[in-house]
Amino acid sequence: MASQNQLSREEFDRLREKLGMDGEPAYLDELFTQVRGVFMMADSIRAIDVSGAEPDMAFIPPTD
Amino acid sequence: MDTLEICYMSAGDLSKLVQSKEISPVEIIEAHLTRIDATEPVLNSFITLLADQARKAARQAEKDIQAGRYKGPLHGIPVALKDLYNTGGVRTTSGSRIFDTFIPTEDCTVAAKFHQAGAILLGKLNMHQFAYGPTGENPDYGHMHNPWNPDMVTGGSSGGSGSAAAAGQCTITTGSDTGGSIRIPAALCGIVGLKPTYGLVSRYGLSSLSWSLDHPGPMTRTVEDTAITMNVIAGHDPKDVASAKVDIPDYTSALTGDVKGLRIGIVKEYFEAPLDPQVRKAVMDAISLLESMGAEIKEVSYPMFNQSQAISSTVLMAEATAYHRDLLEKDGHQLYEPVRQRLEAGLFISAAEYLRAQQARSIFDQQGRRLLDEVDLLAGPTEPVTAPEILASKVMAGEQEVGVVGALTQYTRPYNINGFPAISVPCGFSDDGMPIGLQLAGRPFDELTVLRAAHAYEQANDWHTRRPPI
Repeated sequence: MASQNQLSREEFDRLREKLGMDGEPAYLDELFTQVRGVFMMADSIRAIDVSGAEPDMAFIPPTD
Repeated sequence: MDTLEICYMSAGDLSKLVQSKEISPVEIIEAHLTRIDATEPVLNSFITLLADQARKAARQAEKDIQAGRYKGPLHGIPVALKDLYNTGGVRTTSGSRIFDTFIPTEDCTVAAKFHQAGAILLGKLNMHQFAYGPTGENPDYGHMHNPWNPDMVTGGSSGGSGSAAAAGQCTITTGSDTGGSIRIPAALCGIVGLKPTYGLVSRYGLSSLSWSLDHPGPMTRTVEDTAITMNVIAGHDPKDVASAKVDIPDYTSALTGDVKGLRIGIVKEYFEAPLDPQVRKAVMDAISLLESMGAEIKEVSYPMFNQSQAISSTVLMAEATAYHRDLLEKDGHQLYEPVRQRLEAGLFISAAEYLRAQQARSIFDQQGRRLLDEVDLLAGPTEPVTAPEILASKVMAGEQEVGVVGALTQYTRPYNINGFPAISVPCGFSDDGMPIGLQLAGRPFDELTVLRAAHAYEQANDWHTRRPPI
């Protein structure tokens, strides 16, 4: 869902309403900040060259 | 023996006295209950105190030991568990009033192992709600307070575990570590905290924050007590899908005091991040001491360290939201707002982004393993700062103002991503008397080397013998 573009407040409000999120204005302001952080993280990870790498499989435990 | 003296004795020392019948488990438990009475109004380490149950168990332990049925080094020793470890018949809240009356029907694997070893459960420890935060704030059961200065956070999420061990309320405590939640309070409260290798200690019966990042582990005042505890709680558990089938050594065999020939890598990127100069100095002094003891010190580079926050946060937020999705929909309005916000923000992470973060995690892991071909351990600060004030959102790391959440997790998250064992051991105090931690990380399942270096360093200092003013 996150994109390379900076998330606008209008876009955030549209998305959160679709997801059924509501709250006081101060709560939503803080949530908006958090979600922008999520988008920035996505951009940061997108910049990593992951070609050839499979997703980490933490649930396959080592054995003797 | 003086109450306070009993409360600050290590499990290693107490167990010798218990075995030789010089001290009774009843005396030990009474001493700790007295200590809890005196300090709990300030610290708020416990959510549930099991005074009567502990007294009864102590009387039974005394009887068994008198009758020659000594079970081992944890017999009669007080243990307290973070309140997301399920305990049969004892409420387990995960730090939320939503689960105020939840009483599990069976013990988690770790609790069952402690019980088998004869340890005495003193109570369930306060924690950041659902383990989703690094400070130790909790509006439902009250914030946790640092024994070295009650205006400051304990660190989290296993904050009650940190304060209880540091203040002599309990000999052995446990935490769970998803982004640093064992090592953060260990560093900020001045104790030892080990995040074992992923899969070494069973997660069965623990409330999850992030399946692929969660690590249960011990929090104690000495490295020896951590080793003793690992001897009890480590091992394969068929009830945990991620549990590893590996040989379990005697962890106390690592406590040789010798670091000669150990190759310790100093990750240069750690020292380029925001870092309090007093912390930097304490950690560099610790590394110099290890070098003077015979360790070989080498600067190394972990370039992907700079992406560790993004990788870890993406995986953690997506998994935490998936785990708590039903709760969020049903009881979201009852959650601590910062926790609710983090859970809701996780809904904005797509499956593709989650998987890309897991791909990046694989590369991060490989880079870490290559580093550990060059050296035996990686060293650095556990925390870039000492404990911030309770409810502060920003903290100064040297001359730079940084967010508390990001700062407290900046050095701990890498080892949740790659699953390597990592320990925090006290390495000094700031000018205002707050503890500082040295972090040492090793190869997967090589806890012996991590414990060996941490113990040798500990024994060359007296940091672990200092007591908070409370």
